Amino acid sequence: MDFLIQLFTDPYAFYNSHTLLIAQIGINSILAASMFAVLYSGQLSLAAPGFMAIGAYTAVLMSLYLHTPLALNFLAGTLFAGVTGLAVGLPVLRLRGVFLAIATIGFIEALRLGVILNFPIKVNGEPITGGGLGLKNPDADPLGGINMVLIALAVVIFLMWRLTKGRLGHAWSAIRQDELAALSQGINVARYKMFAFVLSALLAGFAGALETNLNFFVDPNEYGVPRTVQILTFAVLGGTGNIFGPVVGSLFLTSLPELARGAKDYRDILSGVILIAVIVFRPQGIVGRGGLAIIRPRWWPQRQSRAAAPG
Amino acid sequence: MLLRLDNVQRHFGGVRAVDGVSLEVEKGSIQGLIGPNGAGKTTLVNVITGYVPAESGRAFIESDDLTGLPSHRIAALGIARTFQNIRLFKDLTALDNVIVGMHTRRADDTLAQLGTLPVFRRDQRTRLSEARQLMETVGLDPGAVAKRAAGTLPYGDQRRLEIARALALRPRLLILDEPAAGMNPSEKHGMRVLIERLNEQGLTILLIDHDMHLVMGVCKRVAVLNFGRKIADGTPAEVSTDASVIKAYLGTGGEREVASAPGAAGLNEVEEEVVKAAAEQTPTAAEPESAILEVRDLSVSYGAVNAVRGASLRVAEGEVVALIGANGAGKSTILNTLSGVIRPRSGTATFDGLDLTTANPSTIVRRGLVQVPEGREILARQTVLENLELATWGSRGDGAGTRARIEAVMKRFPILGERRAMKAATLSGGEQQMLALARGLLAKPRLLLLDEPSLGLAPQMVDEVFAAIEEIHREGTTILLVEQNALRALEIADRAYVIETGTILLTGSGDELLHNPAVRRAYLGG
Repeated sequence: MDFLIQLFTDPYAFYNSHTLLIAQIGINSILAASMFAVLYSGQLSLAAPGFMAIGAYTAVLMSLYLHTPLALNFLAGTLFAGVTGLAVGLPVLRLRGVFLAIATIGFIEALRLGVILNFPIKVNGEPITGGGLGLKNPDADPLGGINMVLIALAVVIFLMWRLTKGRLGHAWSAIRQDELAALSQGINVARYKMFAFVLSALLAGFAGALETNLNFFVDPNEYGVPRTVQILTFAVLGGTGNIFGPVVGSLFLTSLPELARGAKDYRDILSGVILIAVIVFRPQGIVGRGGLAIIRPRWWPQRQSRAAAPG
Repeated sequence: MLLRLDNVQRHFGGVRAVDGVSLEVEKGSIQGLIGPNGAGKTTLVNVITGYVPAESGRAFIESDDLTGLPSHRIAALGIARTFQNIRLFKDLTALDNVIVGMHTRRADDTLAQLGTLPVFRRDQRTRLSEARQLMETVGLDPGAVAKRAAGTLPYGDQRRLEIARALALRPRLLILDEPAAGMNPSEKHGMRVLIERLNEQGLTILLIDHDMHLVMGVCKRVAVLNFGRKIADGTPAEVSTDASVIKAYLGTGGEREVASAPGAAGLNEVEEEVVKAAAEQTPTAAEPESAILEVRDLSVSYGAVNAVRGASLRVAEGEVVALIGANGAGKSTILNTLSGVIRPRSGTATFDGLDLTTANPSTIVRRGLVQVPEGREILARQTVLENLELATWGSRGDGAGTRARIEAVMKRFPILGERRAMKAATLSGGEQQMLALARGLLAKPRLLLLDEPSLGLAPQMVDEVFAAIEEIHREGTTILLVEQNALRALEIADRAYVIETGTILLTGSGDELLHNPAVRRAYLGG
């Protein structure tokens, strides 16, 4: 409760005392947007943490060994994740549904256990990635990074919102609902799925690189299966009908531990109960069909009635 | 010629789904494509549209070679289609469904979307008004349905919307795969008017449908497929009197000559009045007084589709009664309602005092009403013996008794005894049907419902299956038989009901119906 009271009575103090939380919400929202890109085109890809790891390690290693500027490191991390997305997508995008999910989990685990922990380039006998010990990142700027995160989030939301409105978005929707029917309308299904997959990899890589700016330490265990489940939950809980669903989902889930702080030892149980309740009562997501119907007051004009009105 | 297929072939495993079909569709015409269940019609469409690559043969639309192209390229070349089981984008609005259809002739606006350029807005307005026009063309009111999710529209509107979406492609050829399936007579008439109007506007149409009134009514030419081969191609009049077509639809009558099939000879002279009189004649085989199965005014719907409309029938103990009619007439729906799998909308059905409209399916089986479903539904990955053992679940606990019963049915069907340890999937179609029959018998039926026991079987196997059915009947089991192979079914049936679009058209003894031209009409239209 204190959390909400402070938010509404003294937003400035709230911002100062919860900077890291707000920054994490921003990062998680970008990750949720990455998940949104694949889900919107009907692909259950769980590869996001893999692309995050590529973005994060690329950015930090460039900063440590090449001393290149931050913007260049982020750009390189993002692009490298995108290129990897293209290479991974070529074989795995033939798969659908749960088979795609399993293949992408295979990718993130192979990357984490096979490549990051046993990187072939060594320094003093240890992999350059730090192996299981992780990587120190002395250049991080946790408090200063928040502005960058919020601007990036705004850009990502705008980008995804507009992309889903045009021909591309229509094609993605069509593919999500019925691939065969989409083909029958002349949509190059394979190409549009690949575009969504690579876009998702770019966003995840970007979020991974951004996140390194908030922590002095890169932990390889952050990029495993639990993370991918968390990101999937952001998107599904928020709703995948439009980009605002995943953003609301990550806002809600990331701040849930704070909201439930009053429950003390029972905090995790309370969080779990709230999660189940949302899924049971809003299966289409918080921002499901009909927009934010859950918080819309009764007297608010409804879209349906306007559409039905004559003229 | 707009579309030309040249000796197209496609096999699935050992099944020759499309076996060397050549077909020409004249520009501006409506070409019909018909054939019994499993004839390869949908596979042929899937080959034309590129979902299933052909193994050999070539396909052209005007001068463009379609052979080996991916589906989306074929669509872009101007071949649009609708689907047998409607495939709209259900969560998109009706309007968006049509706009997705414009994909191939719409410039990519991904970058323009990032700024809201005025050019883009103008294009968007043009598209919206065109989409509304297309909806009007197919008879939808854009004001009422444009903003609704496609999946929430009534069934008939969904069919029309799918056509509007296909038209949005501005196709050279429109393929309609069973556009009138599940429609009532007035909806069917509306669909016929729409098809004719689209054709008058210059559109070439390839029409696949089981409703012969529709196909024979609108098509200039009709091609007939059977077992993957084209067996006839000509005007509707030529095709509907072709002996091989009648044989394909009504089945073969054992030793009976095809010439004696209903209406096979001198059919052109059969006048409308004669057919009507035949349909209205009082049946000499009256319905039995006392019946073990009694169905009254049964109506069944799937959502907005009325599959069965007020059907009544009776079966007395010891009879073999056949239920015949074309694909989609509602035969299987009636059986599924009797076995409690589907609940009717109205009407009654009682079996030996048990109300079948409310009874639990397992109770129905225990009381002795057992269905052998269409497509056999055996457990493919279990052995023959395991399949049979599972069928004795109702009397588990009585180990020695069930073993004896299983041995008994294996003696009846020796082939099952020989193959007891083999996986059911490795059996041939006929052997699988025997297994399904044996499984049905193990449930100790008093009334056995058989749904299309000869479906997809080679002629010799059909003989064996029917011999088995006759033997089961001789041993005292009452049988209600649903068959597309009408001649065969009528031969062994005491009585039969002819069903058309969900209603009982006529009834009579097997012999009477064998010579009744109305039967042919129910299958092939007139």
